[in-house]
Amino acid sequence: MVLVKSQHSSVIYITLLFAILLMLVPLPDTLRYARPEWVAITLIYWAMALPQRVSIGVAWFTGLVMDVVTGGILGIHAFAYALVIYLVGRLHLQIRQYPLWQQAFTILSLVSLVHFIVMLSAPITFSWNHWLTVLTSTLVWPFVYAVLRKIRRSFQVS
Amino acid sequence: MLLAVVASLLLYFLDTRLDYFKPVRMTLSTAVYPVQKLASMPDDFTTWFTDFFQGHRQLREKIMKLEAQNLTNSVRMQKMQALESENMRLRELLGSSFRLQERVQVAELLSVDLDPFYQHVIIDKGETFGVYEGQPVLDSLGVMGQVAEVSQFSSRVVLLTDPSHSIPVQIVRNGLRAVVTGRGLGENLQMEFLPHNADVRVGDLLVTSGLGGRFPVGYPVGKVISVNFPQGKSFAEISVSPAARLATSREVMLVLPGEKIDFGITYPLQIEESDLPAVEEQPAVDAPVTPSEESN
Repeated sequence: MVLVKSQHSSVIYITLLFAILLMLVPLPDTLRYARPEWVAITLIYWAMALPQRVSIGVAWFTGLVMDVVTGGILGIHAFAYALVIYLVGRLHLQIRQYPLWQQAFTILSLVSLVHFIVMLSAPITFSWNHWLTVLTSTLVWPFVYAVLRKIRRSFQVS
Repeated sequence: MLLAVVASLLLYFLDTRLDYFKPVRMTLSTAVYPVQKLASMPDDFTTWFTDFFQGHRQLREKIMKLEAQNLTNSVRMQKMQALESENMRLRELLGSSFRLQERVQVAELLSVDLDPFYQHVIIDKGETFGVYEGQPVLDSLGVMGQVAEVSQFSSRVVLLTDPSHSIPVQIVRNGLRAVVTGRGLGENLQMEFLPHNADVRVGDLLVTSGLGGRFPVGYPVGKVISVNFPQGKSFAEISVSPAARLATSREVMLVLPGEKIDFGITYPLQIEESDLPAVEEQPAVDAPVTPSEESN
């Protein structure tokens, strides 16, 4: 944090790394489809709060790391995150104004988009179970929002 | 945005279509290994912690249990060796070559969850340990899967339950050969392309058939748990529960290629090879031995 004192961009990267770790931490088999899309919602938060800092490039690169870490086909997460952050960048002024429950619906649709793109490439048959992650992502959004806002304010990331 | 889209599509194309891209992917995987290691640390620590603070009594009980198990295993092994050598001899009489035992290398799973749509796990041995793509992976109870991607210090293993994974098997009871395919997370395996009159029963044990040359012969794959003959479908629906503990195993074994334990009675096989003009290893020693053995 001392290194980049001017803008504290390392805080952003640390939260992203933490989100990636949360995506990897082992869960029981029954809960694995219910894991929230931590990385996507973290990216969405930062892109919404600081659109000039978290750009499509950052999202794309984070997605690439996710692709490698989770062992999927390269480019899938990268594409999905880049697309979503592009949309957030377009809409961030509106999303910021929404009340929290309405924000949650925006998250619902954005995470659905990410998830849809990721699922298209996977060798699976359709099941409603696979959409659980969208639901849990929406549910954890208020907490993630609160925590990240706290982090942003206390480290004065701008 | 356009740049991101183009880059993603390019990567997708390179990764799925081209073999040249493998080194790049390998480098990337090596680069993210620390992240994966970091993610597995809480779980590793819990395991270490519970191990460390296990009570004296529990440990003693465990040792007792293991010793008893060891005893029964070694008794069985004695019998096994006799049977193995008998089996070898019979097979020699039939003139078919057969490898009974493979050498294995132990690796440990990283406690990391990957994409739930792919049934993959990471193990902590990579290229530096000579792991190679397609190497069979076993646990103490049966076949787990095979290595899909190797990086410097770790490898990715496809489990039997992955929808893109199939393994050639054989029913122990009657030798019927078939293919078993994965169905995804938390699902059982499926035995495919068997007609309605196939002789498959609930409880049949399936072992690897060795066809396809990737998996060694005779390792348990699973057990048939239900057999259905749906009307109007061309194939039977047979589900198989995997023998290996895919969800809970921590130690796995990698089968090393092309090496076998010498039992000292494999001469006739070598004779057959040395009949070929090119190989002249030990024909003088072996030649007198085999005919007499075979005539007995």
